[in-house]
Amino acid sequence: MDDLFLPRVARIALVRDETPDTKTFGFRFRDPADQRDFRFLPGQFLELSVFGFGEAPFCFASSPTRPELVEVTVRRTGQLTDALHALGPGEEVGVRGPCGNGFDLPSAQGKDLLFIGGGIGLPPLRGLIWNVLDERERFGRVTILYGAKTPTDLVYRDELREWAARGDVELLVTVDRADNGWDGNVGMVPTLFDKTELRPKTTLAYVCGPPVMIKFVVQDLLMRGFGEDAIISTLERMMQCGVGKCNHCAIGHRYVCRDGPVFTFRQIKELVE
Amino acid sequence: MYVQASEGRPVGVAPSENHPVSRGKLCARGWNAHEAPAWGERLTKPLVRRGGRLEPTSWENALELARASLTTLLEGGKSVGVLGSARATNEENYLAARLARGALQTGNLDSCLRATYQPFMAGIAVVADGRAPAGTLADVEASGCILVLEGDLASNHPQAAHAVIKAIKAGAKLITVGCARTQLARLAALHLPTLPGERAVLVASLIAAATRESAGALEPSLPGLEALRASVAALTAGDQLRQAVTWLRQADRASILVAPEGGPPERVAREGTAIATLAAVTGHLGRPGSALLPLPARGNLRGACEMGVAPDLLPGMAPLNDASAVARVARAWGRAPALATGLPAEAMVGTVNGLVVVAEDLSAVLPAGQHALEALAETECLVVLDAFVTPTTRAAHIVLPIASFAESEGTTTNLEGRVQRVRPAALPPGDARPGWQVLAELSAVLGLPRSYRSADDILREIAKVVPAYDGVSERVMDEAWGTFASPLPADREPTLQPIATDRVLFALPAVLALDGVFDWGSDPLVSFSPTLCRDHVSRRKLYPSGLVQMNKADADGIGVRQGWPVRLISAHGEAVLPVVLRGELEPGVMLVPYAFRELVTGVLGGRSEAPVRAEKVQ
Amino acid sequence: MANGARTIAKRNVAHWLAALMRRAEVIAPVAAHGGDVAFAPIASPEQVLFEFGNTLHPPKQFVLPQTDPLAVIRRNGNGVEIEPVHDDRPRVIFNVRSCDARSLAFLYRMHASDLPDGSYLARAGNVTLVSLACTVPCELGFCTCCDAGPFLKEGTDLQLTDLGEHLLAEPGSDKGFALLSEAGDLFRPARPEETGLRIELEERAKRLFGEETCHFASAMRRISTGRVAEKLWEAMSDWCVECGGCNFVCPTCYCFSIKDMRQDGSWVRCRTWDSCQYQAFTLEASGHNPRERRADRIKRRFFHKVSAQYYLRDGTVGCVGCGRCVRVCLGTTDMPAVVAAIREGAWNG
Repeated sequence: MDDLFLPRVARIALVRDETPDTKTFGFRFRDPADQRDFRFLPGQFLELSVFGFGEAPFCFASSPTRPELVEVTVRRTGQLTDALHALGPGEEVGVRGPCGNGFDLPSAQGKDLLFIGGGIGLPPLRGLIWNVLDERERFGRVTILYGAKTPTDLVYRDELREWAARGDVELLVTVDRADNGWDGNVGMVPTLFDKTELRPKTTLAYVCGPPVMIKFVVQDLLMRGFGEDAIISTLERMMQCGVGKCNHCAIGHRYVCRDGPVFTFRQIKELVE
Repeated sequence: MYVQASEGRPVGVAPSENHPVSRGKLCARGWNAHEAPAWGERLTKPLVRRGGRLEPTSWENALELARASLTTLLEGGKSVGVLGSARATNEENYLAARLARGALQTGNLDSCLRATYQPFMAGIAVVADGRAPAGTLADVEASGCILVLEGDLASNHPQAAHAVIKAIKAGAKLITVGCARTQLARLAALHLPTLPGERAVLVASLIAAATRESAGALEPSLPGLEALRASVAALTAGDQLRQAVTWLRQADRASILVAPEGGPPERVAREGTAIATLAAVTGHLGRPGSALLPLPARGNLRGACEMGVAPDLLPGMAPLNDASAVARVARAWGRAPALATGLPAEAMVGTVNGLVVVAEDLSAVLPAGQHALEALAETECLVVLDAFVTPTTRAAHIVLPIASFAESEGTTTNLEGRVQRVRPAALPPGDARPGWQVLAELSAVLGLPRSYRSADDILREIAKVVPAYDGVSERVMDEAWGTFASPLPADREPTLQPIATDRVLFALPAVLALDGVFDWGSDPLVSFSPTLCRDHVSRRKLYPSGLVQMNKADADGIGVRQGWPVRLISAHGEAVLPVVLRGELEPGVMLVPYAFRELVTGVLGGRSEAPVRAEKVQ
Repeated sequence: MANGARTIAKRNVAHWLAALMRRAEVIAPVAAHGGDVAFAPIASPEQVLFEFGNTLHPPKQFVLPQTDPLAVIRRNGNGVEIEPVHDDRPRVIFNVRSCDARSLAFLYRMHASDLPDGSYLARAGNVTLVSLACTVPCELGFCTCCDAGPFLKEGTDLQLTDLGEHLLAEPGSDKGFALLSEAGDLFRPARPEETGLRIELEERAKRLFGEETCHFASAMRRISTGRVAEKLWEAMSDWCVECGGCNFVCPTCYCFSIKDMRQDGSWVRCRTWDSCQYQAFTLEASGHNPRERRADRIKRRFFHKVSAQYYLRDGTVGCVGCGRCVRVCLGTTDMPAVVAAIREGAWNG
């Protein structure tokens, strides 16, 4: 019987500063068999142990099509993330997972894909985006809309440039407040909708970001004719076990760690608080 | 309750169904009481400060260093003091008193929370002819009318809240008094709003209503009644107050519960006298079944007081000039106790040159908060006994590790005066020793030897020194659930006193006060429990610069919303704090949680409440 | 209950218990302090109580300890080593009441379903339940309202019935049959008048319980279709003191948190009991709390226990009618009171 609560040891192989309070970490499992056998889907999450500080859930920020490193992007919010940010390459952490349901990529094939990310909401989408780009021919148009509070809050800056440079991706970036060096769009994410051609009938929209942003974006999408099953998001809740046992993340009888964290808007509407 | 242990460590708790007070129920802290001893940062070795750092050493070295340092101070004519604790057992508090007045021959003896409780008892005793507060929570539950001078009883005294809730369910009339309509107030038949610091005045008004009646003459007519009546004659008593008094009078059994409120000891004592007077003039003082219970802020506060941990009392809460008490103590200790009135807790910190602290984190409990820690820097010799690492142990010169409650043997005394045994469920970790043992050894090396073989030995000595505890040691060993210390009140009439009725006039539109007198979040039982600490940790994280609560109408009046900063200006100073809306508050009342008190010391100017003006920060 | 009922004379029970003690840790109701009764591992057969009101603390702690070590995490020269803690010690929980036996079967199902919890199953799988049927109702119980007593048809390894001079033992599983065959001559086949008496005792017990007092079905309908007014939960929240006692004594509650405890230079990852009634249960790192109000937490508790959605998922309502929440509540918001309030649409404190 699998031991649900035992983490596997992984070593930090990469640390990259994204913003003053956010870093991306890439891990490799210490045991080569773990490294070889580990499978996950974008949209799933892992339970990361920072030894001595406990465990916390983080979504996979990397794609299963690039399995050499498992990546997460983490903002400092408390003791555990502070301790994680103090770690460097070679240091060990624990990984439990993959947890949750992941994005349903097969059913997205042939469709146009619209990715809408706000601030720290881009990490769960990034894994999905790279997965899509690595199998580009299976999907229709790919549009990425991304916004953050200020230019310093933008994450994955190198990759944003990479995506912008590709001919098969449309990328629009905006910030709520510009600084001196910024010459791009200014305004909240929904202001980007009029700068691109949206095709509600053929498009799946993936929305991740702060709850307030999701609310306004989803309202806008619905008004523009997107179906409730075509709008997909991820939910966050306080979690402990990540495997559907401890009941912390239950909403009604649905468990964000098992039935989610990926939900369609229709499913979210049906959740009984 | 039972603490369950595995491999010498506490791992869980179970309630005791037949316990006469808890009856199988525990509060959140009770249900998680096993966590702090197991998960908390424990002191396991004696520590002494060398070159600015605390280093482990042997018990011998640590005690010798304590002896040498404290003796040097005494011989140099410098001052020393001892702080007992509501977190410690009766035996530990008794030995702390003995260390102070016996071994160190000083009257600088106190506990950090005493001022929130003992003056109240003293105030009651003025009317009740020396009798201690009496009654049980079972009495409260069976009362037909209950008066609660609230803090948030459901959070701070859940067992008391339970008794009140059961009484209401059985049809009792609850009257609450306070500046916030907290949970219990919403269940009350009548809520009497007051401003912070004005509870005593409201009680005086109730007394006025009670003594004004031409009909319903008080029988028998109590001594001092006329002077009392005259002293409250000028107070108005409207319909609500008269209704409250009627209910109190009509009830066969009526109980009064008083939660502590900040304020100078004289005011606390006055409030005690007022409460006891109200009980007397409504026919309930000393009446069997009618309880009059001040609520201790924490644990064994009543026990600590009864063991004499106070700058102006002997064990048994006898005055320092009580000759027979002095004789009893001298006989037990083999030495006359020091009879000087010493400094109270807050005054001691930073003033005395040597300080022995038993199981208390001064910055967590004293009103001065962080400033207390800063003041400690002046202390030449700080000796701290504790089970847990706290900011106070970190500041010490000598740290002596002792057992936590789950590993201790001894007794505690609850709000009813019930003395109960505490039995160890686990072993103290590392080299930690029972607190009573360490205090006895410390006194011995300081020249007051007495070998106690067990906590029971100490209890037997207490029984000889504190008349109310006479016989407790046998009874407490036989009875399953402890025994009452204070003898039942004799059938004497209360003596009424005139009541002071001065009111603090608030010249400014609002009044700022601290909410409560104790911050559970910084008590080890909570801060070291992973289950219980979460709310407090989160609040400190979300409000690193504190917060001030006000109701929405007041916030709208200033033009601020939830989370917006507000400037509070008083005659003494000002502070800027974010606003948290709290619908329960009376208009004009602004409360800062006790945990954030350091942020408003300037505004309060050393008082427990102050008139303020609040303005929006541009 | 399956055929194969056997009987043991009461004077032989001590021998039987002694034999059980030789091959397993035997946990049974014993006298604790001052009249309390508690489940505890026994040191001698004489400690076992046969006449007792149910214990206030449920026996779930023996399959789900309040502090449950899952793994030890150590650092050594190679880096971090993680060693699982497995507890597969054989245990017999003896003289559990029917309600508690049902609850243990429920807990097993919760941990075996979906992603099986190996650590829990290792411990619980080595537990044998010997339950004692209730021939008289206990003071606060209402097991007849949730098919959890007074006698069980299934869900226990061996059901004992007190016939006076003898105990009747009905095996309900392979483990139960094995117990009986191991005990050999201490037992003999049950006589017809004994099984007849047992049936009579069950009928009498049900009659003594009388009418149903806690009507789950109609409460379930309302709670599952969102037909319980918000202000009902709000009214209740003033009568709850948020102690968590209901969760801790409830034999079907199993919510937990996972924390690392420092111990002698290493860490022990533990599962610890938690209460959905505590504000911090759903408190997120950002400070956002979807169940900030106590009314929402009370609503959550009863949705989990009584809703159709959970009933369909778990195969049973989340209550065995043991009555412990009634005893332990520091307020007045116990299961029967809340179920009645939901049905009536009114809360009277």
